[in-house]
Amino acid sequence: MSTVIENRRRSTTEIAESTPEWKRRLTSDTAARLTAGISFFLFWLVVAAVFTRVPGPVEVVQRLGDEFARGEVFGNFGVTLYRFGVGVALATVFGIVIGVMMGLSKLSRAFFESPVLVGLSIPAIIWSFLTVMWFGFGDTSPIVTTFLTAVPFVIINVAQGVRGVSRDLRDMSSTYQVPLLRRMRDLVLPAVTGYVAAGIRFAVIIGWNGVLLAEWFGGSGGVGYRARFWYDANRYGGFAAWVVLFVGFIVILDRLVLDRAISRAFRWRDNSA
Amino acid sequence: MSDQLLDRPPELVVKVEAGEATARKTASRRKMRQTAFIVAGWIAMVLVWEFGSWWFGARILPRPHEVVLEMGEILGNGNFASDFTASVLKTFAGFGVAAAVGAPIGYLMGRYGYWRAFFHDGVTIAGTIPAIVYAVMSLIVFGLSNLGPILAVALVSAPYVALNVAEGIRGVDKSLITMSEAFGRSAKQIRREVLIPTIVPFVFAAIRMCFAVAWKVEALTEVFGGRNGVGFQIRTEYQLYSISGVLAWMFLFIAFMLVIERLVLAKAEARLLAWRPEERSTAL
Repeated sequence: MSTVIENRRRSTTEIAESTPEWKRRLTSDTAARLTAGISFFLFWLVVAAVFTRVPGPVEVVQRLGDEFARGEVFGNFGVTLYRFGVGVALATVFGIVIGVMMGLSKLSRAFFESPVLVGLSIPAIIWSFLTVMWFGFGDTSPIVTTFLTAVPFVIINVAQGVRGVSRDLRDMSSTYQVPLLRRMRDLVLPAVTGYVAAGIRFAVIIGWNGVLLAEWFGGSGGVGYRARFWYDANRYGGFAAWVVLFVGFIVILDRLVLDRAISRAFRWRDNSA
Repeated sequence: MSDQLLDRPPELVVKVEAGEATARKTASRRKMRQTAFIVAGWIAMVLVWEFGSWWFGARILPRPHEVVLEMGEILGNGNFASDFTASVLKTFAGFGVAAAVGAPIGYLMGRYGYWRAFFHDGVTIAGTIPAIVYAVMSLIVFGLSNLGPILAVALVSAPYVALNVAEGIRGVDKSLITMSEAFGRSAKQIRREVLIPTIVPFVFAAIRMCFAVAWKVEALTEVFGGRNGVGFQIRTEYQLYSISGVLAWMFLFIAFMLVIERLVLAKAEARLLAWRPEERSTAL
C-alpha cells in the first residue's frame, strides 16, 4: 500500500529527472511538430493511395514545377494581388469609418446594426455570382467581391474597439481639458489599433476566399482562374499545386505579417494583464 | 444609508419619486428612439436597393418586391422545404463528424503538452484555409455525392471544436480533479464524471460559433457539385442568369440561417447548459 502511494506522489521535478534524455527529446514541442508534419505527409500518401483521384505529393510537386517553368505563377499572382489589395484597402477604409461611427454613438449603432448583420450572413459565393452578372469578366467583380465580403468584419471589430475605449479615461481627459490631438494619440489610437489590426486580419482571410471565388467564376486571369482551368481539365494535380500556392500564401501572410502586427498592436494590453 | 432615507422630509421623498418617474420616461424614450433607428436601418437598406435598381435598371438589379414575389414562388412550389432539409441534414451530419473527430483531439490538446504541440500548427492553419479549397477538395475526394458537403462541413468545423474543447479542458476546475483523486476515484471515473460534462457545453458552443461558416461552406460545396440543396438551386439560378432568383434564394438562405442560429441552436444550448446555473442566464 505504502509503495503505491510513494509511486504516485513523485514530484514533477523528480519525474522530469528520472526520464531519460532520449525520451525527453522525443516528447519536446519541436519533436511533436516534426512528428505532426511527418504524420500529415503519411496521411496524404495513404489518402492518395486510397482515392485514385487525389493527387499524391510527388505529382503535386511536379505540377508545381511545371507551372513555375511555364511562367504562369508570378503573372497570375500579380493580377490577383492587385485585385485583392484594392478590395482589402477599400474594405479597411470604409470599415474604419463606419465602425468608428458605430462605436461612438448608440443611435448610429442601431442604424447600421441590421445592414452589417445581413452583410455578415451573405456568403462570398453569392457576391461573386452577383458581381459577375453585374460587371462581367474583368477586374471589377473580384475587387467588389473582396470588398463586400470583408467590410462587415472590419466594421464589427472597429466598432468593438471604439466602444472599448475606457469611459473613465475619456471623462477624465475632458475634465483636465487634454487637447484633442493628445487625446487621440494617447487614448483612442492605442485602444483601437489592436482591434483595427484584428479586423484587417479577418478581412484578409475572408477576402482571400472572396477573390478566389470571384476569379473562379469570372474567367479573366488570376490565381482562382488558373486553379479552375486545371480543375475543369480534370487534372487535379495542377489544381492541387495551386491549392498549395494559395494556402501557402495566406498562411505566410497570416503567421508572419498579421499575427506579429496584431501582437505588437495589443502589446500594451497583454503586458499589463 | 437607510436611516438617512427615513429621516428625509416627506417633500424630498416625493421629489425622489418624481425624479424616478422622469428617469423612467427618458429611458423609455431612449429605447423608442433606438428602435426607430433600427427600423430606419432596414428602411435605408430597402431604399438603397430601390435606388440601385432604378439607377442600374431592373434587369441588372431587380426591385425588392420582385424578389419578394420570387421568394413566395419558391416557398409555394415546395422546392424550399426539400432543398433546405437536404442542406440542413448534410450540415448536421458534418457537425456530427466534426464533434466525433474534434472533441478527442481537443481533449488530447487540453490534457497533454505533447499533443498540444502536435496539433497546434494544423489547427491554426486549418482556420486560415479559404473555404473554396475545402469545397473543391471534398468534391475531388468524393465526386458528386452527398458525402462531399458533409466532409467539407466536418473539415471546417473540426478545428473550432478542437480548439474550444482544449480551452474547456484547460479551464476545468483543478480542485475538482484533485478532490476526486484524493477520494480515490479512478481515472475512468474522473473522465466520465468531471471531464466529459465540462466538454459538452464547449463542443456545443463551438458548433454554434461556426454554424454560419459551416452553412456557407455547405452551400458552396453544393454550388460546385451538388445534386440537391440550397447551393445547387443558387447555381441553377446563376446558370439561368436569373439575378432575382439568386437574390431570392440568398434571402431565404440568410433568413433560414438566422432562424436556426437564434432559435434551434440557442435553445438547445440553453437546455444543455441548464445544469449550470451561472451559464443559464447568459445562454438565454
